[in-house]
Amino acid sequence: MRAPLHLDLLSDDERFSSSPVRLRVMAPLISILSVLVSLVWWGLIALRINTAAGLRDTLKIEIDNLKPQHETILRLIAEEKEFSASLRQLAFYRNARLAFGDTLALLPEYVPENIQFTELRVLPPPPPPPPNPKKPELRNTNSLENVTARLIGRASGENASSSVNDLLLSLRSPALTNLFRSAEIPKGAFRQDVARGGASRDTLLFEINCTCLPRRFE
Amino acid sequence: MLSKPHMRPASLPFKLSPQRKPFTDIVGLELGAGLAQGVPAVRLRKRGETVELLAAGFLDLPDALPASAEDASTAQSVTWQLPKPFRAPHAALAVTSKLSFLRHSGGTAEDAEKRPSGFRQTSRVTANDLPPLIAGLPEFQAAWAARLLPEGHPPTACSLQISAAAAMSGFSLTPSFTKAPGCIIALLVFPEYTSLAAFQERHLVLYREYPAGTAHIRNAISAEMRIDGALADDVLEDTLVDPLPIIEPVLRPLFRQVEVSVDFLSRRRNCPVSHFFISGLTAGTRYWSAIFSRMLNQALTPCQPLEGLVNAAPAAALPADLNAAEPLLMAAAGAARTVLEDE
Repeated sequence: MRAPLHLDLLSDDERFSSSPVRLRVMAPLISILSVLVSLVWWGLIALRINTAAGLRDTLKIEIDNLKPQHETILRLIAEEKEFSASLRQLAFYRNARLAFGDTLALLPEYVPENIQFTELRVLPPPPPPPPNPKKPELRNTNSLENVTARLIGRASGENASSSVNDLLLSLRSPALTNLFRSAEIPKGAFRQDVARGGASRDTLLFEINCTCLPRRFE
Repeated sequence: MLSKPHMRPASLPFKLSPQRKPFTDIVGLELGAGLAQGVPAVRLRKRGETVELLAAGFLDLPDALPASAEDASTAQSVTWQLPKPFRAPHAALAVTSKLSFLRHSGGTAEDAEKRPSGFRQTSRVTANDLPPLIAGLPEFQAAWAARLLPEGHPPTACSLQISAAAAMSGFSLTPSFTKAPGCIIALLVFPEYTSLAAFQERHLVLYREYPAGTAHIRNAISAEMRIDGALADDVLEDTLVDPLPIIEPVLRPLFRQVEVSVDFLSRRRNCPVSHFFISGLTAGTRYWSAIFSRMLNQALTPCQPLEGLVNAAPAAALPADLNAAEPLLMAAAGAARTVLEDE
């Protein structure tokens, strides 16, 4: 219920708080402090932004100055990688080198007198299969290379056939297995020489394929 | 509200309101009562619709009002510290000053021009067809009273009222008033004067003051029987001597004015008075009632200022004889009660 007869003569300026903490003193102080803290905070942020911007500009200039050197270094690194790869490949080839010389030097001792070599060839390796786009190779498969040496010659005389056979056995002997792992006459490669007329009918032509040790590119 | 000329103390350019929510714990203090017992003080607390009495009594504090602005400036440094039972957060001050006034405004421009200068005034419309009720207090007394209770220490002033207005407002909040139907007249007796307040359907329709109070009765008995004032009060309470022949000449003019007011209310406002109440009498209530009954042929019902309050005060926070002291607490209790009920 509102008291209708409250004739209050107290002025608004005379209404004080009974709290020991005086609101009208504390409120302006808190407000001023809040403003000051905000200003200091904004100042610090502005200072940090300014410092960061300066640092950014300095770094940008340094980066621009170092760009040619950086490009040089990148180019040198690429060259070094290229050369290293070449050296590694060369090392692989050195390791994969097959020494034919010693074996070929021993070979005359095992060749009968009625046999004459007409061709000695190391066959080129078969070309690699074309890449399958649906099933790409996931690993390097070129670390091994099969090597085949082909001996072509003729044998004459009464014992031509046995001489060729002796030569084949010799190629399989332990003295030559350091190089040749196997030797065989392919089908149709042991035949009579008919190209030079009747005088050469007792001459036999032969081919021997010698499977050499594989070349290991490692 | 009329103008309230007063000096503004140095303060912030904006207003920081210390409290806007309704008050629930108030101590009422009457300044300038000049009682030998001390400053009348009543502490009340509102809990829901219930108002509790937490403490009541008389405080040993200097309450003499400054008689002039010069006195007020020299007495400005005086501040009060209340005993703990009376230390409510806020205080409602009722001022008893010979320089104060409470009256209906004439409502004319001439009346407005007659306003005394140097007074702090406020007014309130109590009924739509009546001029407003104006209360006024010298500015220097109002400023002095407002600064008695310093900031930062409970209590601080939240209301400043004229004692007569506080007592009348307090009476309008008692159960006797709220339960009485129709037209009511209340006689609020002070030492130097008696207030007549007439209410029609709870609205104040007439307020008058007449220079006949308890001090006049006491002086008449003292002079007639050649005894001191304290003994005169005993005479009013004892049955050995009949003081009626002594006090009737004092009260008859007052009750004659009451009779005139009753006639005025009946004829002009078509409001026959059905209930008469009296409050503020410390002694001799039965003689007042007897004379009143004889003159107006109506009963005069006593109404105590603390009526309707729930007593929640410890014995130490109450005077030894609360019933005897209660009339003297009329203004203090009324001021506190008015603020509690003013939402």
